[in-house]
Amino acid sequence: MKPRPEARAASRCADAVILFTAGENEFAIAAAAVDEIRNTDGIREFAAGCGNCPKVSHTLARDGKTYFVVDASTQFNLLPSKKARLLVLRDWPVAVLVTHIDRMGEVSKLHPLPRVFQGAERKWFRGLMLVGQAPAETVVPLVDPEAFLTRREAEELAGNGTGANRP
Amino acid sequence: MSAADVKTFVLFPIGKKRFALPSELVEELAQPDRLQTFPHTTPLLTGVLVRRGHIVPVCDVAQVLIGPNAPQRKFYLIAFRSSGAAPEWIAVPVTGECELAKAQAEPPPSEAPGYVTGVLHFGEEKVEIVDLEKLMSERPGQALSPARRAAEVSA
Repeated sequence: MKPRPEARAASRCADAVILFTAGENEFAIAAAAVDEIRNTDGIREFAAGCGNCPKVSHTLARDGKTYFVVDASTQFNLLPSKKARLLVLRDWPVAVLVTHIDRMGEVSKLHPLPRVFQGAERKWFRGLMLVGQAPAETVVPLVDPEAFLTRREAEELAGNGTGANRP
Repeated sequence: MSAADVKTFVLFPIGKKRFALPSELVEELAQPDRLQTFPHTTPLLTGVLVRRGHIVPVCDVAQVLIGPNAPQRKFYLIAFRSSGAAPEWIAVPVTGECELAKAQAEPPPSEAPGYVTGVLHFGEEKVEIVDLEKLMSERPGQALSPARRAAEVSA
């Protein structure tokens, strides 16, 4: 008898997550990775980011620091959509532009991304969550906050004369 | 043909053709289910299903096997894939009901695509045995032989 695929897989935890949408797609991010949820007031266009890093279109000045604003739709190759909220990340000069904050939740079991997924999604997501009650569970990817902007990208953007903090 | 050479296969239809998988790799034939999607960049994958608490990726191999004009898929064939690591379920959308058959596999013809590991004969019908692992490494439209591509176009 073959082993059940999931036997190797899902790790159990009970971490708080924030569920958000980018366009029509729902995602989750660890609540501990987010410092603040706010509206988009105060973001400024960032022309220097367009060439080398098109996903960064704006910056946000906050508490004497500059954050690079990454559009989640661009990050995940989605169609452009209305952006209403910013997730300001903790310990990283990045704020993520999203469509909507859905709610807080708790991830009790994180399923690894099936190995057959072999593209950029392996960097984007830490795993998959099942949200809701069986049999109507919804699969929600848990994003890796560091995938929104790599250390190298952040350093290059910081070097473009913005005065942004180096990571 | 000795009894030892006869093995059991699951025959699954995609369009007017049938293909085969060794039965030991098949878990079940599932009714149409709620396909869920999230962003990714892996070719052939159309989303995932949730089956009894398992997350099962859906791989639409019809694009490789018969081209872009495959009819609507009606069922999911849930099969195992193992690429050197622990086995993993994968759902293959098929266009009709499947059949369990015992047959002796013959070597694939030299011009067959790399994912064809053998051929079964049922009267006039030749059914290709496919290797899911190799099939999934194909890109849509790449794997069709010129003759097969021409036949698809004329059909």
